[in-house]
Amino acid sequence: MSPDGTVAAKQVWKRFRPDRRRVRLSDQLAILTSRIRGEARLPWTWALRDVSFALSPGESLGLMGANGCGKSTLLKILTRVMYPYAGGVDAVGRVGALIEVTAGLHTELSGRENIFLYGSLLGLSRREVTRRFDDIIAFAELEQAVDRQVKHYSSGMKMRLGFGVAAFLEPDVLLVDEVLAVGDASFQQRCLARMREVLAQGTTLVYVSHDLPTIEATCARGVWMERGVIRLDGPVRDVLSEYRRSVEAGAELQLRDDGDLRVVKVGVSGEGDRLPHTKEPLTASIVIEAARDMQGRLFLGVTEGPGTPVLLVSRDVHFDEGKTSVQCRIEELPLPRGRFYLWMGVFGKRADLPWGPAAEFDVVGPDLETAPRGIVRLAPVYAEAKWEQGRPESL
Amino acid sequence: MTSSVSLPTEPPRDLRFRRRLRIGTSLVELWRARELVRSMAEREMRARYKQTVLGFAWAVVIPVVYMVVFTVFFRRVANVNTRGVPYALFTYVGLLPWTFFSSSLSLGGTSLLTNLSILNKVYCPREIFPFASVSVAAIDTTVATGVLGVLFAVTTFMPKATIVWVPVLLAVQVAFTLGVVLLFSSIIVYVRDLRHLLPIALQLGLFATPVAYGLEAIPSRWQWLYALLNPLGPVIDGYRRTVLFGQAPDMLLLGLSALTATVLLVAGYAAFKRLETGIADVA
Repeated sequence: MSPDGTVAAKQVWKRFRPDRRRVRLSDQLAILTSRIRGEARLPWTWALRDVSFALSPGESLGLMGANGCGKSTLLKILTRVMYPYAGGVDAVGRVGALIEVTAGLHTELSGRENIFLYGSLLGLSRREVTRRFDDIIAFAELEQAVDRQVKHYSSGMKMRLGFGVAAFLEPDVLLVDEVLAVGDASFQQRCLARMREVLAQGTTLVYVSHDLPTIEATCARGVWMERGVIRLDGPVRDVLSEYRRSVEAGAELQLRDDGDLRVVKVGVSGEGDRLPHTKEPLTASIVIEAARDMQGRLFLGVTEGPGTPVLLVSRDVHFDEGKTSVQCRIEELPLPRGRFYLWMGVFGKRADLPWGPAAEFDVVGPDLETAPRGIVRLAPVYAEAKWEQGRPESL
Repeated sequence: MTSSVSLPTEPPRDLRFRRRLRIGTSLVELWRARELVRSMAEREMRARYKQTVLGFAWAVVIPVVYMVVFTVFFRRVANVNTRGVPYALFTYVGLLPWTFFSSSLSLGGTSLLTNLSILNKVYCPREIFPFASVSVAAIDTTVATGVLGVLFAVTTFMPKATIVWVPVLLAVQVAFTLGVVLLFSSIIVYVRDLRHLLPIALQLGLFATPVAYGLEAIPSRWQWLYALLNPLGPVIDGYRRTVLFGQAPDMLLLGLSALTATVLLVAGYAAFKRLETGIADVA
């Protein structure tokens, strides 16, 4: 028997049929007649194909991937809400799942009644809930509303109540699916802090999110899924950078050139045709071809892959009919070593170039400090720091 | 780091997930979740009677209304032989097990459907939902049984000593009810038409069961078949014999009832465990 907190998926397969109409009698009959005639039924689509991984107690895994790649299905199978078509899963010990935390709440009951009900739904006894009751209330900030019916709660209050109960259940395995999407910034921070605490107590964590910085901050290991298959499994930073790169590559295909403006050439270089270096100048040289005279604002952004820039610069540009060359020089590049992407777009009354990736480049320089677990660094900006240390009076 | 290689289009056959039926482990798991059954039942009770004026009294109102209606109308139309027992008492003794069955089935039969949002997100033994519904029906019936005491007092009719048979009858009644509820609640997730069929079926069932009349209305050479098909018949007849007439239950008929009830309970539970694996897929 494996120790509590072990999670394993062994060659998990799961399929769904695209038609959901077979519930009705007429559809059943149609399926029946086509079967008698020997016609093929609608094909199954595979949501998961041969997914295997194993986590030892205390490990933290971040699951990433595009919508529909099977992340949530995998999580549902791990919680035993769903059953696999083939293969098997094993989660030893008490499993707590945060999948849409408000699902277990009953709106006719008060907050207090719901805490007990939801607690027992998650496997806590009445005594255990009573012991944690004050912590839960304090965490969810519901001191005033605890005896009100939940139907009079705001959606944020419901979310806090749900997460509060689940966060204090102290499971051996915690499965979290995109629950932090709602809630204000300070509550998100507290949720992350709570997840870090739970991890420090030796809980195994599987965390699904589209929010890559929080994955990087919370998890040590990453799994990238693509169309139901594990594409990559490894240390979280390696997997994340591969994933970001692929998001960028995918976006490149979407760049259209049927508009009035067309990107002819984009180059990124450092000083004297070297690679760009940290804290040194970076030059972006762009050639754009316009179908007619037009005016617009040119935006350049540096990103880690997705379309959310770390830094953004812009300038009004007048495009003559034909080719226009634009050069942009950033004096002190605040980026660490790594691969980055230049995104650009033109926005104006009649000039329009959609926001999209234009070039990728590597930066030479120092590595970024590794953030401690649980702290989210939003963007990889490099800053030189001078430190001094001593007694207060000597400084 | 590992990268994926090319995959077959289907998993090998020997890898297929098969749900093994382990009644033992399932029962252990259910026993561990007994507190959850209690919480769910409590939730159902509170949610049901919150913001109602009569509250708990509703548990009594329904069987009492039926009793009054039957006493006023049914007795005049059909000539029911109650062997000297006041008709109100006669029919109320039949109404209690019927109300238990009927509200168990109407609550429990749809219990998985009404709790789909939980079933889809949180794992718990799924039996807790039908079990909680049956518990709620049991509490309601217990409350309604209080009226029986009032009826005995008003009619100055005394229950007989053979009342000691009641636990046996109760066991058959609960086993049958649970079996039907388990079977029904799991099938209804896949065939939702049944949800609309349920109220009509229960209405007809009330008249197909000897609630307003006695079991003697069934020709005696067909009674064995009737006992197999509707185990509630001999159970209700048993209650009347033991509580009102001072007789033992009809052992042959009750045995046949118990047979059907046991088969239904085992089959219903097995079907439930099999069908629950797909609930999250069709929900």
